[in-house]
Amino acid sequence: MIQPLGPSERERARALVESEGLAFDLDLDDLVGAWEGGDLVAVGARRGGILKTIALSSAHRGGPLLGELVTELVRLGSAAGHDAFFVFTRPEHAPSFEALGFSLLAAQRRAALLEWGDGLRRWLAASLPLVRPGANGAAVVNCNPFTLGHRHLVEQAARRVDTLYVFVVREDRSAFPFDVRLRLVREGTADLDNVRVLDTSRYAVSALTFPAYFLKQADDVAGIQMELDLRLFARHVAPFFHVRRRFFGTEPFCEITRAYNAAMLRLLPPLGVEAVQVERLRGRGEAISASRVRAALRSGELAGLEALVPPATLRFLRSPEAGPILLRLAGAEGRHA
Amino acid sequence: MTIRKRAQAGTLQSSDLMVFVEPAAELTVEIESTVKQQFEHLIREKILEVLRAHGVTAGKVRIADRGALDYAIQARVETALRRSGEA
Repeated sequence: MIQPLGPSERERARALVESEGLAFDLDLDDLVGAWEGGDLVAVGARRGGILKTIALSSAHRGGPLLGELVTELVRLGSAAGHDAFFVFTRPEHAPSFEALGFSLLAAQRRAALLEWGDGLRRWLAASLPLVRPGANGAAVVNCNPFTLGHRHLVEQAARRVDTLYVFVVREDRSAFPFDVRLRLVREGTADLDNVRVLDTSRYAVSALTFPAYFLKQADDVAGIQMELDLRLFARHVAPFFHVRRRFFGTEPFCEITRAYNAAMLRLLPPLGVEAVQVERLRGRGEAISASRVRAALRSGELAGLEALVPPATLRFLRSPEAGPILLRLAGAEGRHA
Repeated sequence: MTIRKRAQAGTLQSSDLMVFVEPAAELTVEIESTVKQQFEHLIREKILEVLRAHGVTAGKVRIADRGALDYAIQARVETALRRSGEA
């Protein structure tokens, strides 16, 4: 019988989880477990639609307990309004989750990411009308907001492929909301015939595949996430869109983006995707970046903006719709704020 | 009856299924199944039969099936419907 674990039972949970060689963290919405004769024999946690920290005592592996644990976490998540579920686990445990209806999105030496249901297949199927044959390319961009630097990257990349897919990061953790970022990319590239703009859903640089992107540190965990994110891209996304090259700009400022670029150069070619780094466009001596645009907006220096952003973005920034975003920027600090 | 709120029934175990229902303007039935290729039409027919029997004409019904037999499908859908109609 799976039961919720209260705060007083967390240390017992931690002991079981750590004895299985996993890290226990308290960033969770639900913590559940199963008891047997006063011993805690199974633990599982949920944060949003992500199931994690799942540990079973060795005597209970291979039995029905894992299914019961995951069923309860899915039930709780569903009641909380989630309809897609994912699990991070060690690669050797992936088959146990596959037996429960999960499918593997990506795996590396220390971690595997699985999805319950067929969300990835449905996302790809919905994008099918955009798929063109040929030697295609891709760029995954946040565009917070779309600048002349992004425009330069897209132009350079579009010249070197049949169709260029620009995937805009869907995760809404940036100063400019997703629908605005997507719209400005669409407007800013509308004149380029072979460019298609679409969103990443959860399947590239998301809070699921790469949560550290939205934080600051470039540590071990970030490294594992980057690798899972890139393996998912190479294994599922690139083949579907006939993508042979992934393009990205050189990164002068941000440590974690630089580490991600290095990971692309190292990991993508062996997986069949060429990694192409494009030199950043410079304006007034310095590389043009969205963070530079946000800094200008924060300090209220709107005069030099036309040297940094294309007309569509400029129009937006001067429109009433931008008001709340500019206000928020003025009060915020942080990497994506 | 009317689907008033999100509800769920069933498990992830083999030979069982999980049913999710939620309110919606139109009736839709989404099926994921390990035996979808061969049996989707039969699973769908069974679900629609249960929905009809309970007079459900609107709502989103999602099924994750692990090879459940007819009576399991019927029981799980009925339970989810009952939970969705509770105050």
